[in-house]
Amino acid sequence: MEAIIANLMFVAPNWVRDYITHEKQPNVFWSEYVVWPLAQIIVVLFIVLTLVAYLVYLERKVSAFMQARLGPMRVGPWGLLQPLADGIKLLLKEDIIPLKADRAVFIIAPIVSVVAALVVLAVIPWGAAWATIANVNIGLLLILAVSSVGVLGLVLAGWGSNSKYSLLGALRSSAQMVSYEIGMGLSLIGALMFARTLSMSGIIDAQRADGLWYIFVQPLGFLIYAVSALGETNRAPFDLPEAESELVAGYHTEYSGFRWALFFMAEYSAMIVTSAVAVTVFLGGWMLPGVTGTPLLGIGPIGNPTLHTFASIIVFAGKIMLLIYAYMWFRWTWPRYRYDQLMELGWKWMIPAGLANIVLTGIWYVLAMPASQGGWLGLMREVNRRLIPSWPGGVLYFIGTAFIITIPIVWGLLVTINRRSRDFNLHDQRQLQMQLRRERLEKMLQEQPRPAETGVE
Amino acid sequence: MSAAKTPAAKRTIGQLIKRLLLLDLFKGLMVTFKYNARALYEPRDGGNPNQAIYTEQYPLEAARVSERFRGAPRLNLDPENGSTLCIACDLCALACPVDCIEVGSIRREVREGEKVNKKKVLTTFIFDTSRCMFCNLCSEACPTDCLELTQSFELAVYHRAGFRWDREMLEKGINYVRYAK
Repeated sequence: MEAIIANLMFVAPNWVRDYITHEKQPNVFWSEYVVWPLAQIIVVLFIVLTLVAYLVYLERKVSAFMQARLGPMRVGPWGLLQPLADGIKLLLKEDIIPLKADRAVFIIAPIVSVVAALVVLAVIPWGAAWATIANVNIGLLLILAVSSVGVLGLVLAGWGSNSKYSLLGALRSSAQMVSYEIGMGLSLIGALMFARTLSMSGIIDAQRADGLWYIFVQPLGFLIYAVSALGETNRAPFDLPEAESELVAGYHTEYSGFRWALFFMAEYSAMIVTSAVAVTVFLGGWMLPGVTGTPLLGIGPIGNPTLHTFASIIVFAGKIMLLIYAYMWFRWTWPRYRYDQLMELGWKWMIPAGLANIVLTGIWYVLAMPASQGGWLGLMREVNRRLIPSWPGGVLYFIGTAFIITIPIVWGLLVTINRRSRDFNLHDQRQLQMQLRRERLEKMLQEQPRPAETGVE
Repeated sequence: MSAAKTPAAKRTIGQLIKRLLLLDLFKGLMVTFKYNARALYEPRDGGNPNQAIYTEQYPLEAARVSERFRGAPRLNLDPENGSTLCIACDLCALACPVDCIEVGSIRREVREGEKVNKKKVLTTFIFDTSRCMFCNLCSEACPTDCLELTQSFELAVYHRAGFRWDREMLEKGINYVRYAK
């Protein structure tokens, strides 16, 4: 029984168990299945929703600083109470449902969106030991599956609003999210080859056992994941679904008040979730050598298990915040892609690169397997039915192949694939048109005599 | 005109490397990051174009105006004895193209040292800021540098009568705004 629970959920730490039961023989069902998960859910939801509110504030501040402005300054010191004021405003606003809208769909859409964004918080490993709500053994698959349900919310919103802007935004977002979903899934497979598990905590443990973060063996995978995550969460430079200069506000044009806030919440929690996946799969999760997880230069991880878990939560949150800052940084630096460019990047660059990355990683992996399992180089050894690269040969081999061989090969492949594709450069296209027009005019002039030139030179 | 080359042929090796490594994207990122970092550590100085944050928090801080800005009028006082510099010569009123200045004066005996002179003395000075177009002609006409257009620009009042500034307002200024800095 204990083993099953330990597999399914991260059990509560002893001090929590003692506090809940006050018994010598604790009631395992009550404490592990009801009280502890509920407490975790409440804490995680509270923190994440507050964080979402403050991410809006952060985004406004970051954008302001990047544009030589100050951002919100008037509500509280440095505008720190701005999210509270925004929340109150959104709650008190009139809830408008357009007359010609499909009422049921209009109401369901934001709920679908926000539920899909919040459900996946359950399987994210927020920290070591007990700091995960559920350790599902297909955690990553669950995140990918549920977060693609989020598209449904956007499509429903676009359809239910009965507005051309919303519909166009929804069309764009569904096409975009479906295409970037593929690149995202492909980019993760390379890292999963090393991890040999889909459990989120398992992936972090695999990185701890291998002694390296998977960004070092999968730099290309991380790059593809980062780009696809931008597309998946509809953030700039891929924020076509809500391109305000063309579509007013895209799929949430007709929404106001708290329903609109739900979409906003979904967007920002999707940012948190995609960052958390990137941190888990590529950046070592809650591990920071010397503080949590593994020792560094003789300075071991924190000994006290409770303290260690709290430190790991802080490390994980810090890594997430770095990625979210990058999201904002990109948004306020780069201009929006044109729609055909977006699709081209997704289908002609990200997906082939992801496929090539899988093939090449597989080749390097098979070559490095021990001779007993059919490999040539024998740079890996088997521990707990997982192959672990040997130190330093195997690790250096994987890092070297990833950086020196995989990236140039994939880049060459992509350039070859896209050699004939139309150039992104509008200026060149215009030059071509002008040249064609010039030729046509010259041909016309040859056929008929030039009219007398008038006017002042 | 020669035939335009294809874009690929025009590219030099440097441009090719730039394109392969996406250097322009990172250049843009560095610009915004620099602004963001400078905004965090630089002391704020609103309205200074060399600063990372240009914003002036105007109602909280004094707003910057140009050195040549012409705003609220003022009648300067003699810094030594505090009496007005105005000699009631009426030149400002004559110079004013919109007739917004009215100078009131009387002739009376004034003791200066040991002599007693009969002199024109300023009694009232009405300046209608609602009609003033801030052309500075009055200030240029003033022989004693008494009437001057200052850099204060907060002339809004709640009633039309408030636009008629009398001598006291012109000498003391309307000092109703207090700034932190």
